[in-house]
Amino acid sequence: MIELDDVTKRFGDVRAVDGITLTVRPGEFFCVLGPNAAGKTTTIKMIAGLIRPDSGRVRVAGFDLVKDPMPARARLAYVPDFPFLYEKLTPWEFLRFTGQLFGMSREAIHAAAASLVPRFQLAEWLHKPIDSLSHGTRQRVAIASALLHDPAVFVIDEPMVGLDPHHARVVKDILRERVDAGMTVFLSTHQTSVAEEMADRVGIIHRGRLVASGTPADLHRQAGTHGALEAAFLAITEGQQLAGPQTLPGGHP
Amino acid sequence: MRTAPDPLGARDAFMLVARANALGAWRRLGSIGGRSRLTAVAGAAFVAGYGLIAYAIFHLGLRFVMRFPGLGSLLVERLLFLLFAFLMVLLLLSNVVIAYSNLFRNREASFLASLPVPVEAVFTWKVLEGTLLASWAFVFLVAPLLVAYGVVQGVPWHFYPFAFVLVSLFAVIPGTLGAATALAVARHLDRKAFQVGSLVVVGFLAAAVVRGWRTEEITDEQLEARALAVVDRLLSNTRAAQSPFLPSQWLSASIQGWGEGALRTAAFYGMVLAAHSLLLGRLACSYLAHALPGAASAVHGRASVLGRWSWFQRRQAGRRAMAGTWAIGGAPIPGGARPSVPGDPMDTALAWMGLRPETRAIITKDARMFWRDTTQWGQTVLLFGLLAGYIINLRHFSRQLDSAFWVSMVSYLNLGACALNLATLTTRFVFPQFSLEGRRVWLVGLAPMGLARAVRIQFWTASWTTLLLTLALTVLSGAILRLGPARILYFMAAMTVMTFTLNAIASGLGVLHPNLREAQPAKIVSGFGGTLCLVLSFVYIIASVVVLAMGSPWGWRDDAPSSAAAAAAWLAFVLLSALAGWLPLRMAFLKAAQPGITEAR
Repeated sequence: MIELDDVTKRFGDVRAVDGITLTVRPGEFFCVLGPNAAGKTTTIKMIAGLIRPDSGRVRVAGFDLVKDPMPARARLAYVPDFPFLYEKLTPWEFLRFTGQLFGMSREAIHAAAASLVPRFQLAEWLHKPIDSLSHGTRQRVAIASALLHDPAVFVIDEPMVGLDPHHARVVKDILRERVDAGMTVFLSTHQTSVAEEMADRVGIIHRGRLVASGTPADLHRQAGTHGALEAAFLAITEGQQLAGPQTLPGGHP
Repeated sequence: MRTAPDPLGARDAFMLVARANALGAWRRLGSIGGRSRLTAVAGAAFVAGYGLIAYAIFHLGLRFVMRFPGLGSLLVERLLFLLFAFLMVLLLLSNVVIAYSNLFRNREASFLASLPVPVEAVFTWKVLEGTLLASWAFVFLVAPLLVAYGVVQGVPWHFYPFAFVLVSLFAVIPGTLGAATALAVARHLDRKAFQVGSLVVVGFLAAAVVRGWRTEEITDEQLEARALAVVDRLLSNTRAAQSPFLPSQWLSASIQGWGEGALRTAAFYGMVLAAHSLLLGRLACSYLAHALPGAASAVHGRASVLGRWSWFQRRQAGRRAMAGTWAIGGAPIPGGARPSVPGDPMDTALAWMGLRPETRAIITKDARMFWRDTTQWGQTVLLFGLLAGYIINLRHFSRQLDSAFWVSMVSYLNLGACALNLATLTTRFVFPQFSLEGRRVWLVGLAPMGLARAVRIQFWTASWTTLLLTLALTVLSGAILRLGPARILYFMAAMTVMTFTLNAIASGLGVLHPNLREAQPAKIVSGFGGTLCLVLSFVYIIASVVVLAMGSPWGWRDDAPSSAAAAAAWLAFVLLSALAGWLPLRMAFLKAAQPGITEAR
């Protein structure tokens, strides 16, 4: 699971993340929404251990990211909005490389790849250099390699960018299956429809603060809206200045 | 809780990352040959040609110095100490810049930091990669020198592998020190005390250089009658290069000891060098590596480094206040007045010059991007600063420059040096301009002016800007050599043609061989297109200077020059320039005008 305990991060005199407290349980699909520069990516980078919080604590799978980063990272998978891939390797070489970095045996890598490659329809591209692949295929390679070691916590920033509807569906299905099997997903997106469809719980970050979290129905109740989640999101982020994080009925701060 | 496999040890993780990168590098190398065999062969020929020419020059120089009666060996020894000392300083600077970008502005470093890879493995790999990047030019420069030294000294065969091992060990020291400095800068750059301290240290070093940089006035009488006294002063003034605390001294002493058969001395200094390299390497793999996460977090979580200064805070507050007035969303101003639009001084100045808005937009964008990338203007200042320093120092050779032959020789060498400097600049800054638009190239390409016009604007802007620098240096060189106005005008005209040609080569090849995926200019330049640009530029410069010098209108000695030969040389030079510059530029304009350019590699 993911635990953020009063986490704050400043960039100079700007509070990018301002006292966020949040727990995402094992086997929960949590989507975070927010306007541009709201602090979503900074929060994600702190969960991934790339940035240290100025104050507060971040724990992944029970391990503190600052004090005990290695066991936390061993259970974590992080896919940024523009994932890094070795351009001159092939997808198969990259999968094998990341599997080995996670300490997987050759047999385990083969077994995991045998299930992921067909699902992501990567067989055709498996032995072609990554620099010859389209953006969508590269995105699929990045997600497949992140799932290879069967992480307990999966953190992904804007996963649907560049994916066609078919492959977006594949990614959604796989993530849902993994969540049902106990994986925790923390997904950041601008697409409210994705959050509405996939998330067990949605959080809205605005000006560095977690201004709302709960099921889509909870958010509608708070915003006094109905219909698509977009209406609740717009009402919460534009319509009012919220004083601080709010916990809604059914939500878990 | 799920169990996770045991994380890899630092050594295994390092080997994995190194293997992935080595495989990538090998395939990148292979793809160069696969793309165009002819240009790959041209590149290889250039490298071989450079090696041979450099070897020949070093060999000639060393033999010349060795002939000095009684003191030849001593002078060669001191020259090597000096050369390695200067190269060490340059290597250190280069390592600081490369280590900083490799550790903190590098996507692979961020990728590895999110994986269960021990920080020691990440840091060691990035430092090794940075050291290799920073040191290849050093090896490239030093290799022909060491071969020439070996041949002149008549060394045994084992001198060469021994020298290679020593040079490799030596590269570790500036590599590690550069990485340590980069870590310190990354960790503490936003601290006022660090900023003030750094300025004080730089000021102190500058003062020491100014104080220590004395020019020795040497008269003809001293040269002819008191040569030994002059040499003694020279040796005395350069003794600092032999300080036993300098790693360059250990390297130089060990290499020379081995070359002269003093194996005990060579082994002693070799072991001193090895001990320090291993110690620093060990520190890099352990103690320094643990500072990486904190430093990386500081860099990624940093606002402006000037944020602690009150003047900067006031300036930012002013800007926020201006933005605040715009946040009203264009509400009408009471009384019907139109809101005033803040002026842009650069745009206003360009408008006064009669430039059209789209031209002004491109120039302003490029100028701002150049100015805000401190590594770019820093390197420009360094390149032209060194050349200006060399030209200014020519005045101290005024007595030796009384002969017509030497005045002609130095004036043409200066023309070549200035053009070579410019070629480095155009390859480094003008060539990657098109690629730097990256995936945003469509933004300019789809604007009404079109991509071809944008390329034209960038070419003219770069040409006129660099022309100011090159003409200034040409005039300075002419004045110091006391050339007449006609002769200075002649070199100014030649330099003008060469400036436009070199910019045309860089602009043209930049469009013909773009790398739209890479964001770092240094990496764009290090690719095939950048190498081709540098090779073509150098070949063009050498050919031009030779042609112009052969048809010099002022002759080489006191013989009467042939005006027909001079005219033919100038004509050949102009034709060569037109061919070398016009062709790639024309092809670039055609390519930029084609639809689909934004989908280029």
